[in-house]
Amino acid sequence: MAMVSQAPGELDDAEIVAASLRTPEAFGELFRRHAPRLHAYVKRRLGSSLADDVVSEAFATAFRQRARFDGGREFGAWLWGIAANLIARHHRQETRMYRAFARTGADPAEDGVAEAAGDRAAAAALGPALAKALASLNAQERDAVLLLAWGEMSYAEIASTLDLPLGTVKAKIHRARKKLRKVLPEETTHE
Amino acid sequence: MNEIDALRRMRTALAEQERPERLALRVDWRNDAVRERRRRGFRVPLLAAATATAVAAGTVGAIALRPGDGRSPTRGGERTITPGNALLVAAANAQKAPSGTYWHTKTVMGEVYAVGESTANHYKIDSRQATEVWTDGNGLRRGSHIDMADVPLTPQDKQKWQAAGSPGWVGVPNPEGGGGEVHLDVANRYGGRSPFPPYTEKFYGMTAGEIAALPTRPKALEDVLLGLKGHWHAVSEDGEKEEPIRALPGQERIRALTDVAGGLLSTAPAPPRVRAAVFRMLAAQPGVRAEGPGTDPLGRPGTVVSLPLKTTAPLGMYTAPKQLGTYRRQFIIDPANGSLLAIRDLTATPPKGSRPLPPGDDGKPRSLKARDMPDRFNRPGDLVSYQAFETAEWTNANPPR
Repeated sequence: MAMVSQAPGELDDAEIVAASLRTPEAFGELFRRHAPRLHAYVKRRLGSSLADDVVSEAFATAFRQRARFDGGREFGAWLWGIAANLIARHHRQETRMYRAFARTGADPAEDGVAEAAGDRAAAAALGPALAKALASLNAQERDAVLLLAWGEMSYAEIASTLDLPLGTVKAKIHRARKKLRKVLPEETTHE
Repeated sequence: MNEIDALRRMRTALAEQERPERLALRVDWRNDAVRERRRRGFRVPLLAAATATAVAAGTVGAIALRPGDGRSPTRGGERTITPGNALLVAAANAQKAPSGTYWHTKTVMGEVYAVGESTANHYKIDSRQATEVWTDGNGLRRGSHIDMADVPLTPQDKQKWQAAGSPGWVGVPNPEGGGGEVHLDVANRYGGRSPFPPYTEKFYGMTAGEIAALPTRPKALEDVLLGLKGHWHAVSEDGEKEEPIRALPGQERIRALTDVAGGLLSTAPAPPRVRAAVFRMLAAQPGVRAEGPGTDPLGRPGTVVSLPLKTTAPLGMYTAPKQLGTYRRQFIIDPANGSLLAIRDLTATPPKGSRPLPPGDDGKPRSLKARDMPDRFNRPGDLVSYQAFETAEWTNANPPR
């Protein structure tokens, strides 16, 4: 998992978790390191308003359970795993947004923020078709393929985050990609 | 472009990271333990309550509707509307509808979920959302998604929901076969309106130009629509090739054709003469039957038209069955104005038993179970889901900026 850079001499994540058992305020540094990237990912899946809540709850949960954190594991993978469980609770909300996008071409997750210019044509042409395919994925296929595409994680990081064997992750991603490929036109259409 | 690259180009505006200091102001994880749910006022539109009663009362009958029975002024004039000719009267009036610069639609979509443990002790929640879209002649669309509060379906359901303490979130079994719960947002905490940047979209593979140029004679129109390629099965197979509608066997062909017809009469920017031809084409399909007067989910009077189908699952979307009951689908049309008011799905036989699903990715067996279905306590004729076209008209008014 792409980790936030850490200046020499700073504590690593696991050391901060350990320190926060005595000094709870220390945990705030983990928020600074990990929240922006996690928040961006959740926002992309569930839209802005839900993202604030999910990230808040993920950190609150991690904080409450910090005594149980296994120092040998990546803190990032543990945190993203907690977030994955929280995202799963909103599976239906997420699916209905994809379905609304597929049916109407209007993406409910978007706030009306304009897409980056270069992406606009492609997004407008393919967004609804991709959304339709995403709606048809089950929760684990969706988690795996979106951690790859949107979370920018490696297969090994995804396996660690979702607490699944590497082979299972590969199989899920393979299956998800097949479903996604089915909805893409042979030749990408542009406006 | 491969599918992962395509995904990476989707929702890029949402992918931007915010500075942690700024995030910390909004995301206050320290006070998460007891979080107060901001509740907006609970809204039950009067219309919805009236509608639900009408739906529960059932609609089948054979009373002739005369022009003027509806609230809106008729464009039709002289012809008497009987169930038998309702589609043809609608066609004649659709053709006279005005044209305009934009095709403007507002669609309210609802899915009904049972909350509770038993037939005797449960209530139903109508889980709603809406979209409002303006489409111009080039197929450029502007619109927004409106997340509406989920509401108790009938006044009786509202009483039971209140007796349960008027919960803002209600949990129902996850109908997808994976176990667990999903939550319905009665408090509408995340409700609101999200506007979208302009975009273009094809309708069943057709551009706006192709829709405008569709034949206006029913037989010729049917011929073109039967040639549309897509995934038209309620349960598709992996690796399945696109096929034209005409390749489907009898009832599946009618189902796919009526799906496209419903789209052309609602969200697709079809000109008045094409819409008229769609009504005439429908009138000629085996199994499509006008039944009698009824009321749509927004409380508007119209004529009920039944369509043959087995499952109401969206076509081409799933590789496993999603439902355990059987269903029927109805169009509610307003013949006097030549419009499709709503599409609604009703239970024919309630779900029962269970059905194994393809092996889960984690190797665990999964199955679709009647006890997890949103319609598990339904009786024949009960509402399952609907799309109501609150607005569907050509207009010269500009979309709001």
